[in-house]
Amino acid sequence: MAVQTEGDRLHTVASDHMSPGRILAGRALVWGTALVLVATAVVQALNDFGHIAFGFDNWRPVLYAYVLWAISLGVAQVLIRGEQGKRALFVLPAVLFVISMVVFPLLFGLYISFTDWNLSSLTGRKFNGLDNFRQMLSDPFYWNALKNMVYYVLAIVVEYAIAFSLALLLNAEIRARKFFRVVFLLPLMLSPVAVSWMVGKSMMEIRFGPLANLARFLGWETPSFFGSPIVARLTIEVMDAWTFIPFMMIMLLAGLQAMPKEVLEAAKVDGATRWQSFWEVIFPLMLPVSITAIAIRIIFKLKLADIIINVTAGGPGGATDSVTSFIFREYRDRSNVGYGTLLAMVYLILIVIFVTSLLSIVNRWSKRAGWGGSG
Amino acid sequence: MKVEVFERLMAAQLSRRKILQRGAGAGAMAALTASGLGGFASSAWAMSHVREEILKIPGVGVGSPSDSDWQKVGALCLEPTKARVSKGEFAGVELAFLGLNNQNLHNFLFRGFLKPWEAYTGAKIDWIDLAQADYNARLQQSIATGTVDFDIIEMGAPFEGDVCGKGLASEMPGWVMDQIEMDDYVGYLKAPVGTWAGKTYRISIDGDCHNFNYRTDYFEDAKLAAAWKAEGHKGAWEVPKTWQKVQEVTKFLKGKKTGGFDAYGYLDPLKGWGGFGFYFLGSRATAYAKHPDDPAWLFDPDTMKPRVNNAAWVRAIQDVLDVLDAQPADQINADPGTTGFQQFLAGTGSMLSWWGDIGSNAKTSDTSVVGDTVGFSILPGSDDVYNSKTGKWDTLASGPNYAPNMAYIGWGVYVMARVDGDAKKHKAAWSAAAHLGGKDISLWCAAYPSGFQPYRNSHFDIPEWVGAGYDEGFIADYLASEADSYNHPNAAIEPRIPGIFQYYSVAEDELAKIYAGQYSAQQGADRIAAAWDKITDQIGRKSQIELYKASLGI
Repeated sequence: MAVQTEGDRLHTVASDHMSPGRILAGRALVWGTALVLVATAVVQALNDFGHIAFGFDNWRPVLYAYVLWAISLGVAQVLIRGEQGKRALFVLPAVLFVISMVVFPLLFGLYISFTDWNLSSLTGRKFNGLDNFRQMLSDPFYWNALKNMVYYVLAIVVEYAIAFSLALLLNAEIRARKFFRVVFLLPLMLSPVAVSWMVGKSMMEIRFGPLANLARFLGWETPSFFGSPIVARLTIEVMDAWTFIPFMMIMLLAGLQAMPKEVLEAAKVDGATRWQSFWEVIFPLMLPVSITAIAIRIIFKLKLADIIINVTAGGPGGATDSVTSFIFREYRDRSNVGYGTLLAMVYLILIVIFVTSLLSIVNRWSKRAGWGGSG
Repeated sequence: MKVEVFERLMAAQLSRRKILQRGAGAGAMAALTASGLGGFASSAWAMSHVREEILKIPGVGVGSPSDSDWQKVGALCLEPTKARVSKGEFAGVELAFLGLNNQNLHNFLFRGFLKPWEAYTGAKIDWIDLAQADYNARLQQSIATGTVDFDIIEMGAPFEGDVCGKGLASEMPGWVMDQIEMDDYVGYLKAPVGTWAGKTYRISIDGDCHNFNYRTDYFEDAKLAAAWKAEGHKGAWEVPKTWQKVQEVTKFLKGKKTGGFDAYGYLDPLKGWGGFGFYFLGSRATAYAKHPDDPAWLFDPDTMKPRVNNAAWVRAIQDVLDVLDAQPADQINADPGTTGFQQFLAGTGSMLSWWGDIGSNAKTSDTSVVGDTVGFSILPGSDDVYNSKTGKWDTLASGPNYAPNMAYIGWGVYVMARVDGDAKKHKAAWSAAAHLGGKDISLWCAAYPSGFQPYRNSHFDIPEWVGAGYDEGFIADYLASEADSYNHPNAAIEPRIPGIFQYYSVAEDELAKIYAGQYSAQQGADRIAAAWDKITDQIGRKSQIELYKASLGI
C-alpha cells in the first residue's frame, strides 16, 4: 500500500500492484461470461433458424447472459485495474445501458429494414437485401410526404417572425406582462392530440364549429378547412404553429432579457431609430439564440404526425401527409414492419444529415460574420 | 323484475362473494340459502320472462343505457352460467380480455355484463381496451411477436385467418355450444364462418352487414316530389331501389332544401378509417361486382388476381366521383364515423350505407335526432351486373341484381389457446365468453346501443321488440332490412384471409388520391390492384388462394 502522488492528480490509497492471480481471475471472469453470452446467443440463433433442435423458448436467457456479462465486466474492472477500475464503474453501467437500449435496437432496426416482414405472413421475417430501398425509391406516397415536409419546414420562417414579434412585445414595458407571458405559453402546454380534437375536429367542424361560424360571419359561405389541398395543409400548419410558436417565443424572450442593456443604450445615445436599433443591434445579437430556437423547432417539425393522423389522416389525397404519419400507416395499418422500418431509418439518416449540415453552415457563416459560435 | 328487488339480490350476491373469498365456508353459505336469497340461483326464471325483463332495461325512448343497466342485464342473464358453473368455482382465476373501447360501446358493455358473472364465479377480469383504429396493429403485433397477453378476445371474423390459422385459439367445448344455442344463428354465421379446419372457435356476438338507411321525410316531402316531376325525372319520387337511382336522387337534391335545411342525398365517407372505410366503397360495388353465378367478387379465387380494377369496381368509384359536388362541404374529410354519427343521425343527408348501429341508435341514442324519420332496406341493387368470366355486363331476367355486403361478418368472442393447459382457467374463459354470447343477452344487445346487430333467428320476433317499446312499423322495417340481407342468396361475403385489412388500408390511401382528383377512377383502381398483388405476394400467394377458396366454400 502506498500513497499515490504521481501520475494521477487524485490522491488515493490503492494497491500499487495487482497480483497476477487477481488479474488472471478478472480476465477469466470477463472472458468466461462473454463466452457464456456468445454461446447462448449462438445456440438460440441456430435454434431460431432451425439449424439445431435444442434451444430456449425465447431470447430471455440471452438477456440474462448479457446482464451477467455486464456485471462481471464491472467486477473485473476492479479486479484487474484496482482503483482505476472503481472509477470506471461510475461510467460503465451507463455505457452498457446506452448500448443495450439505443445502439443495439438501432442495429436491430437496421437489420429489420433489410427484411421482408409482414406480420400477416405465415413465413415470418425474410432477408430481402435492398428490395425495401428500391420500393421506397418508387413509392409516390413517401416522396409526396417528403415534399410536404419541405413545405412544413419552410413555414418555420413565418413562425419565427411571429415568435420574435411576440417576444419583443412581451419584453416591452406593457401592462399585465406576466399575465400575457403565461397566456401565450398555454398552447405549448396542450398535447397536440388535444389540439387536434379541440381545434381541428370541434372548433373547425363545418356545421357548428365556432371557427366555421366565424368564417361564415366574415363572408365565407361554405367554410371548409380541410377540403382543398392547400387550405388543408395551411390549416394543419396553423394548428402546429399555434402549439409550438410559444416554444420559440420563450427561447427568444430569454435571449432578449439576457441582452446587455448598455448596447441598446449606446445605440440610443448614438441616435439610432427604433428600427435601426432593432435591425442593427438587437437582431444580430439575437442570431445565436434565434438559430438555436429554429434548429430545435425544425427537429420538432420533422416529427410532426399526431395532428395529421387525428384530423386528416394525411388527406385530402395525401396533401397533408407527413413522413411520420405515412410510416405510421404503413406500419400500423398494414403491419408492414420491414418496409416501415426502412422508411424510418432513411428518414432518420436524412434528418441527421440535414440538421448537422444546417448547424455547420450556420456555424461557419456566423464565425465569418464575427457573431461567435451558435452551437 | 323490479329494480329494488334486483338491487337487494345484487347486494346479497356481493356479500356472498366476499364470504367465499374469506373462506368462511359452507356454514355461511347454508345460512344465506336459509335466508331465502339463495333461491336467486334457482331455475324459477322462465326464459321468456327474462327476455321480457331485459328488454325493459332501461326502456326504449328513455335515453342511452348506463353501466348500471348493463349490470342488471348481465345479472338477469346469468341463468345458463349457473346451470354449468357453481358459485365461486373460479375463485382466484384472472382472465385478460382484449376488446374495443370505441363510441359504440363494446368493452364498456362487456364490463357491465360480466360484473355479475365475476361476482358469481369469483373470477376476475383484467381489461385491455383498444381504439378501433389501433385494434388491427395490436393484434398483429401480438401474433407476430408471440406475445399473446390475453385469454379472451373480441375479434372480427376477418382476423380468423391470422389467429385460428396459426393455432392461437382454443377449440370450443361442446357444453359451450349448448349454452349459447348455436343453432339459433342466422345461416351465414354458421360454419364455415367461425370454424377453421373443421374445428369451431367463434362465439358470435354480432352479425354484420351494411344495410341501406334513408330518411322517410325526404321521400314524403311534397315540394321535392313536385320538383322531381318538374325536372322530368322518370318514375315516382320514392326511395331508390338501385344505385342508378341513388345517383339520380343525390344529383337532384344538390342545392335543394327540405324542412328549412340544406338537402343532401347519399353520404359517401371519403376519408380513410384504418381500413374500415373500404367497406363503404364495397357497399356501392357489390351490386355491380357480385354476380349470382360467382361466389367471388374481390379477388379471382384461382389466382388471387384483384378484381378491384374491373369494370364493376371502377363504376362504383366513378359513382362516388360523380356526386362529389353534391355532398356536404368538407366531405373529403369525413370518415364513416362522421357520416354515420355526426351527419346522418344528426340530421344531415338522406341516404347512407352503414352497419346496423344506425338503426339501433336512431331511436335509443341521446345524440340521434332522426328517430322517427328513418327507414331501412337492403342495399340498393343495380340494373346490370358485371360478369367477370365473360367481361360483359349482364342484365338479369329476375330484375335488378342485389348483393348485400356482409361487411366484417360481425364481432365474435374467441378464447385463446394459452388457457388450454389450465382446466379451471379454460372453463372460466369459455364460461365468460359464453355469458357474453348468450341467447338472451344478445337480444338486449340487438335492441339497444351496443355496437352489435341482430344475428340470431330469435332476434327477428317483432312482438318482443314491440313489447320493449319499439314502434312496430320502425322495427319491422329495420329487422326486415337485416334479415333480408343475411338471408340473401347473393350476399357478398368477405374473405377471411390473413392481412385482409392491409388490402383495405392501402386501398384507402389510393382512394383518397382518386377522390382528391389526382387519378381517374380506372388509374386509381389499377394502382390499388397493383398494391394488392404486392401484398398477396408478400403474405404468400399460394396460401392466400387456399384460404380464400376455403372462405368462399369452394
